[in-house]
Amino acid sequence: MTRKLNLLLATGLTSLMLLSPAFAENMLRVSYPEDPKSADAQMTTDFYTLPLNIFDRLVESETTGPGQSALVPGLAERWDVSDDGLTYTFHLRKDVKFHNGAVLTADDVVYTFDRMLNPATKALNTDILTFIAGAEERLDGKADSVSGLKALDDQTVQITLTKPYAAFLALLAAPGASIYNRAFTEAAGDQFGLTPETTNGTGPFILRDYTLNDSEMLEANDDYWRGRPKLDRLLIRVVSDPDTLRMLFESDEIDVFDMDFAPTQTPYFYGADQWKDHIVSGPRVGIYYYNINQLKKPFDDPRVRKAFQMSIDRQTILDKNFYGKGKLEDGVMPRGLRCYAPAEPIAYDPVKAKELLTEAGYPDGVEINLQQVSSWSSRWSDMNQIIQAQVAEAGFKAKIITTDEAAYLAARKAGDSDAYTQVWSADFNDPDNFFYTFFSETGSKTRGYNNNDPEVFAAIEKARGMTDPAERCKLYQDLTARIVDTDAAWVPLFSLDHSFVVQPRVKHFIVPWNGWSDMSYYNVEVE
Amino acid sequence: MLMFTLRRILVSIPVLIGITIILFLMMNVVPGDPIELMMREHASPDVIARVRAQMHLDDPMVVRYFRFLWNALQGDLGVSIKLNRPVTDLILKAFPNTLSLAVCAALVSWIIGIPAGILSAVRRDSLLDRFFMGFSLLGVSMPIFWSALLFQYIFAMKLKLLPVSGFYGWKYMILPAIVLGWSSAGVIARLTRSSLLEVMRLDFIRTARAKGLRETGVITRHALKNALIPVVTIMAIQVASLLSGAVITEAIFSIPGVGRITVSAISSRDMPLLQGAVLFATALVILGNLVADILYSILDPRIRAQMRKEA
Repeated sequence: MTRKLNLLLATGLTSLMLLSPAFAENMLRVSYPEDPKSADAQMTTDFYTLPLNIFDRLVESETTGPGQSALVPGLAERWDVSDDGLTYTFHLRKDVKFHNGAVLTADDVVYTFDRMLNPATKALNTDILTFIAGAEERLDGKADSVSGLKALDDQTVQITLTKPYAAFLALLAAPGASIYNRAFTEAAGDQFGLTPETTNGTGPFILRDYTLNDSEMLEANDDYWRGRPKLDRLLIRVVSDPDTLRMLFESDEIDVFDMDFAPTQTPYFYGADQWKDHIVSGPRVGIYYYNINQLKKPFDDPRVRKAFQMSIDRQTILDKNFYGKGKLEDGVMPRGLRCYAPAEPIAYDPVKAKELLTEAGYPDGVEINLQQVSSWSSRWSDMNQIIQAQVAEAGFKAKIITTDEAAYLAARKAGDSDAYTQVWSADFNDPDNFFYTFFSETGSKTRGYNNNDPEVFAAIEKARGMTDPAERCKLYQDLTARIVDTDAAWVPLFSLDHSFVVQPRVKHFIVPWNGWSDMSYYNVEVE
Repeated sequence: MLMFTLRRILVSIPVLIGITIILFLMMNVVPGDPIELMMREHASPDVIARVRAQMHLDDPMVVRYFRFLWNALQGDLGVSIKLNRPVTDLILKAFPNTLSLAVCAALVSWIIGIPAGILSAVRRDSLLDRFFMGFSLLGVSMPIFWSALLFQYIFAMKLKLLPVSGFYGWKYMILPAIVLGWSSAGVIARLTRSSLLEVMRLDFIRTARAKGLRETGVITRHALKNALIPVVTIMAIQVASLLSGAVITEAIFSIPGVGRITVSAISSRDMPLLQGAVLFATALVILGNLVADILYSILDPRIRAQMRKEA
């Protein structure tokens, strides 16, 4: 009965707040294109707004400038790394309280990571923790605990890795590594994160109302260890229709208009006198690329690959398909990523490309296949049509092949896919997230590159364990030249900007370092 | 009557089972893996394989189908793969929203449709008739997503009379109900008009007029009672069109109803949720038809006699 009454009150409260502008004064109203489905960060790989505002992590990735970030202490006030790079000791902050009043201890951290690796949880984010000793055994159900996770005392957690991994700290700053309270989470079971009553974190906001497919209401945590947030409330509304979203924004029912949710509105907002000065934009740490499969003739010849790189007019695609809001990329790392340095520019030169094709034995041009997936958005097929026309000038007779997603993934996994275009956004701020995914021995095969360069494979493995940051970055920059320039293993296209339009009353709104739609609203204020 | 109803209910069981089989087959033919779709481009093959096995998605289709059927018979429609909540809960929570939308839309369609039809029939070929028929043609022909946008733009954006979208009280219900109701209003208006015109030609109307009754009396007391029989049945069958229209209306006006759930279940290949939602919608349509039949028998003595003979 009490629960029902609470629910009724909460719903009534939400309705009242939405209806009355007086209540809306210190509330930020944002939108999401679909229901985030859970606040539990272990159960999602892409809806992170709730976890980023309700929970904290041991280490946080703080946005320090457009596309720039730094790893800063979170729930751990400091940490030590052993000389061999295998043991991480985290010293937790004292007196950090969960929303239910429980005090954070080292046991909570051990519990959280063990829960993620426990097969009964069916977690989706386990990749973050597979470097921990004993993680694989736990995932496979061969162990009841994770040997590499230890609470030395109430305030100290020790994590041991199977091998040194330089990006481990960056991984711990990912939203998936949010820290939960043992007693509460165990009691909530599989309901954790699904309702306000079964959600509990240490973060700046407390989940107060969750109406599936409608909205989530968060309230400021008065006892937050970094100080109370400036906002009293944060309302996240689920709005799936882009035109409705724009009307909501223009009728002042939403404070932030995320152009990612309605890209076709980009020219309108950039052209509207009322709004163009209220656009906040930042780089997205993600790279659009064209895959080249070296097992598919004629791409076995580096000259053909080079010719393919040079025959695509990337600036035109960026201008025509993405309203020019982005920057050309020439390497493997997009701007904003740790270790990023501008790479040797790839020139658009169809004449030179034609010469290279002739040199490679294709004076009359050569047939190639470009693959796309029927269920993907039209963005990809539009790009393929432009590219098909562009590369024809150099002599590539490109045929566009459309398959379903299952066929594409199966072919890719077997290393047998045709060339395709896609985008990769950083999960965490480390070059390993890009190099390992595409050009390591496993990545190169399963993503359909087959760039079987043993030196590249060895260097990527080596970089994972390197402890000197400067030396490590240098290695990644050298690898970029080798992969893109010498091997011509892929075609980097561009990275995009992520633009938001905000109501004039919103202050301190910045695009997070990774350019995501998901962000912490801790520093945002409304007037 | 009771026998008739019982028989109709029994006959609908194979229909329900048939629907689940067709749906199950279709969803297994369509490409796309729920776990892969859930993880998007960041899917890792190891994680996908592990979670698939944990969720029993690797079992043969037949095994999965019978497991579903067995559980469904016990009232358990399973747990949504994507939303991680019991399907029955999800549907029962969303249904009141869809129901209130459908009821309001149905009211709108009756309030507009029936008077418009009557006036058109009575003033046949007049300017009024042309106006109402044109208006209803517009309602039938305009796709919901278009009229929704238009109404949002005019009444919410420009005139600021109503909220753009959301679901927080009666004010929020007006635009979606009009948008959804208008499309059925056209059908009802046209049906009322043609049915009334037909009845007006019959002998008993001539008799009524011959008795010296006034024209209003002829129409309300004699003609309308008979002319509305097909209209009432259409109203019951409206359930199907209102449900399908609700899918689009709910998406545009951000109403957390069954339509939203169904769309999200399709796009994420969330089999348990989709099975549940479709089963539920099928049951509603069957119920609508049953109500139509019963209403028909109450209103039309000829049908009642026929039913008695069959029973």
